[in-house]
Formats: sequence, structure tokens, C-alpha cells
Amino acid sequence: MPAEAWAVPFAVGKCSYPVRRDPRKPQSRGDMAGQGSGRIDDTLLVRDAQRGNRAAFEELVRHYDQAVLRLAMHLTGSEHEAQDVYQEAFLKAYKSIANFRFECSFYTWIYRIVTNLCLDHLRKRQVRKEDAPVATDASGEQYDVLDQVPDGRAGANPERDLMRRELGKRIGHALEKLTPRERMVFELKHYHGLKLRTVGEVLNTTEETAKNTLFRATQKLRGALADMR
Amino acid sequence: MKCEWVKENILLYVYNELPDDARYELEAHLARCSDCAVELDTTRKFHAVLSELPVEEPSPNLVTAARMRLQEGLETAEQDRFWHRLIFEPAAWLRQVRFAPALAAAIFIVGFAGGIGTTYKFLNSISGINPVASSAAPAESSITGIQSITQDPGSNHISIKYNTVSTQEAQGSLNDQRIQQLLLFAASNNYNSGVRMDSVDLLTQEPNNTHVREALIYALRYDSNPGVRLKALDGLGASVKSDARVRNALLEALVQDSNPGVRTEALHLLEPVRADSSVRSVLEKLAHSDQNQYIQSQARTVLSQLPEFD
Repeated sequence: MPAEAWAVPFAVGKCSYPVRRDPRKPQSRGDMAGQGSGRIDDTLLVRDAQRGNRAAFEELVRHYDQAVLRLAMHLTGSEHEAQDVYQEAFLKAYKSIANFRFECSFYTWIYRIVTNLCLDHLRKRQVRKEDAPVATDASGEQYDVLDQVPDGRAGANPERDLMRRELGKRIGHALEKLTPRERMVFELKHYHGLKLRTVGEVLNTTEETAKNTLFRATQKLRGALADMR
Repeated sequence: MKCEWVKENILLYVYNELPDDARYELEAHLARCSDCAVELDTTRKFHAVLSELPVEEPSPNLVTAARMRLQEGLETAEQDRFWHRLIFEPAAWLRQVRFAPALAAAIFIVGFAGGIGTTYKFLNSISGINPVASSAAPAESSITGIQSITQDPGSNHISIKYNTVSTQEAQGSLNDQRIQQLLLFAASNNYNSGVRMDSVDLLTQEPNNTHVREALIYALRYDSNPGVRLKALDGLGASVKSDARVRNALLEALVQDSNPGVRTEALHLLEPVRADSSVRSVLEKLAHSDQNQYIQSQARTVLSQLPEFD
């Protein structure tokens, strides 16, 4: 444990678990792990969850679930589908947590589950050959997810808002044209800020392969969005 | 070449994935190469364009709804138990074997013991097949019995099966010291009269050997089987003239043997030495008062053939 790290104990059931926070690591929009609170030492929680402690598992879920939803939403473009991925991923993690051998971080392990489910999702979508990322909301109505791209800046002028929305749509379509794996690598690297080494670990491949896939994806996107540069 | 390398790595530079030395080299090149500086600018702009598609934070409502749904799911979900993993994921089970060092030690011990066992068996089987190759003669104390003795017809080759802790077999000619040793052992110690008979029969081929002669005398005196005693007599007959011990043994047999056939044969074999005083006195005694009339008459016949001494 580094000298500058500090621990905050918080109660889960009868036990308390230290949260390790690395102050050297800046929080960024792309920081996936630990809901932006830095890398958390999950070892105690994982061990308790492996012994069947559900409270410990739910605590683990709370460490990662917002990041999982964020990734799933960006990839699927749908809250509903993101929720399905979330549910399936954590249930799968709960069932097989006893098999987790600490060969990688829990963070990598859970993202491996999530990305596999998302890859399945992307492949199914490719088979369906949907023209537009149309999704169904909770009430069953279909909508174009790219229309949902929000404008984070309140009071922005409508013309700029429209342009941004158009731009978002075009980027979305360009991303749709990537292979599921290229899309996943680009997503994890560009939108979620993971290091290529971590991307490789999550996708069960090498850093070099992840790097080459990122190059390929960027080239394709450049080709598709050539007029926007 | 340098520009090519920069173009290949400029994306990694933008994503902050270049190692420090490569980063320094790239920055140094960018400072003096306008083409590459333009390329960097383009890449950065494109990077910014792609970032126009924002990554939405999940709304608190969505997070809460997802958590509640998961909690419901966890109520009914069951974690994989040990037996489940054992049956469905043997590979995972093997991976988690924590007692690998103990297992390795156990395998080593079993392997070592197996190796010793196999070697022992192998050596045993070798000595069982061809003990002739072994130069060491079997110690008498280790021989528990002779199983069989056979002579190849028309040859000098003898095969003897004898028991030590386990049955063994020795082969060789009658001149072979070990074979002789085994034959002598068989003649005097074996429980099987057939084997004794065979060994005595073979020993009679070497009547001039002192050890053989002793063994034959021993057989004549003490063997319980009259056939064996008869065979021993035959073997000794030739040396009755030259060896006083043989003569005495024959006389002993003539007087004391329980079998009339043996006695008769001894009587005939003693004919060449009938003139010896000891033989004559025995013959006179037999001629006078032997219970067996045939022996009596035969003794008389032999005595009558003796030259008269005045």
C-alpha cells in the first residue's frame, strides 16, 4: 500500500472494508472503475462474497454499477438494454464469484463479463442489420437513441444544439460500421479512458492486439467522417 | 522514415499511451517537422470531433431501478457450490488445487516406489530366466528343495529346477560345479524320491569324484527308497575294489538293508572282493544264518567259488 494512500472504512453488514484511494490518479470522465473514486481494494469484499455474503456482493455492485451502466448505455444506446446487460452481468458475477481466483483484478473480471455481454449484443445487432440505432424504451416505444443525445450545456443556442445532435448522429452511424471488437476497443479507450493494457486484459488479448485494433477502428472512423475533420 | 514512425505513433501520443522515451523523441521531431505537426493537429481535431458524442452518466433513477431489479434477481440466484464446480468445471477445480506441492510430493513418492518395485521384479524375472548367466553358485542354505532334474537325451546337458525363496532353474553339464552341487544336494536332502533317483542316476556317471562317491554312499546308507539305494549301489559297484569305504558300505548294505533286492545286488557287487577277509566273514555269516534263503544260498555260492586256502 503506497504511503500516500489513505483508507476510509465503511460498514457492510457486520464488517467494515477499507477503501484505498490513490491520490496520484486524477478523476476523469473516462475513469470507469469505482464510480470515479479511484481504484478500490475489493479483496475483502470479494472474499466475503465468495463465502456467500450477499451484503458484500451488493457493496461490490455499488462500486461498479454506474460505470457498467455508462458503458452499456453508450454501447447499446438504450437504457432498457443497458439495464438488461447490467442485470445479466451482475447475476453472472454473483453465480460464478467463487471461481474468481484473483489472477486479475476484480475490476478487470467484472468488465470482462460486461464487455462479453455487450459484444454479444453488438453481434446480434449486426445480424439484425439495423439501419439506425433504434431502441425501445421502458414503455415499449421505439426511438432513435441518437436523438436522445443530450446537450449538457444549459442555455446553449438551438442552432448549435441542432449541429451537435447531427454530429452525434453521424458519429453514431460511423461507430455502428465498426466490427463489434473494434467498436469495443475504441469505446473502452476513447470514451472510457482505459489504458490499452487494461483493454487487452478485459478483452482477453494482448496490448499489442488492442493497439492494432484501435488503429484499425480509428482509420475506419476517419474514412467515414472524412468531411468532418 | 522518421515521419513514418511519427505518423504510426501519433495516435498513441494523443491517447497518452507512448512510453516516455518515445514521447520525448516524438515531441522533438514535431518541433522541427511541420508536416508531422500538421498531422498531430489533424489527429487532435478528429479526437475532439469523436468526443462530441458524449458519454452519458446514468440517471439516479436508472441506477436505483437497476439495483432494485438486481436485488430481486439475487433473491433467487444461487452461487455455484463446490460440487457444482467439481462436476461442471473440472478445469477450474484443478486450477484451484492449493495442495499442489503436497500432490507433487505424493506423485514423486508413488513414482519412486513404483520404480523400485518394477526394478525388483525385472531383476527377479531376469534371474529366473537365465540363472546360468549368474556366476554365483546357490548357497545350500538358500535351497529349499529340488523340483525336477532332466537330462537331454544323448547329451551331457542337464536341467535342474530348484527352489530357493522362489523357484529357479539352473542349466549346465555334469562337469559344471554348480550342477554337481545341486545334484549332491538333491541326492541327500530332497523330499521327492523321484528327484533323488534322478540325481543319483546322474551322479553314477561320475563315480570317480570323491564327493559323488560320498553322496552315493550316503544314499545307499540312508535313503528311504530302495530304488534310490539300488541306483547308488550301481554307481558304487565299479569302485568296490579300489575304495575300502565303498566295500564297507556295500557290506553294510548286504547285512543291514531292509530290501532283499538291494542286499542281493550288494552281494553280487561284492564278488570281485569276495576274497577279502571282512567280506568272507560276512558271507560265511550270511550263508550260515540269514533269514532270507535266497541270500543264504547266494552267499554259499559265492563262498564256494573262493579258492581254497590250505
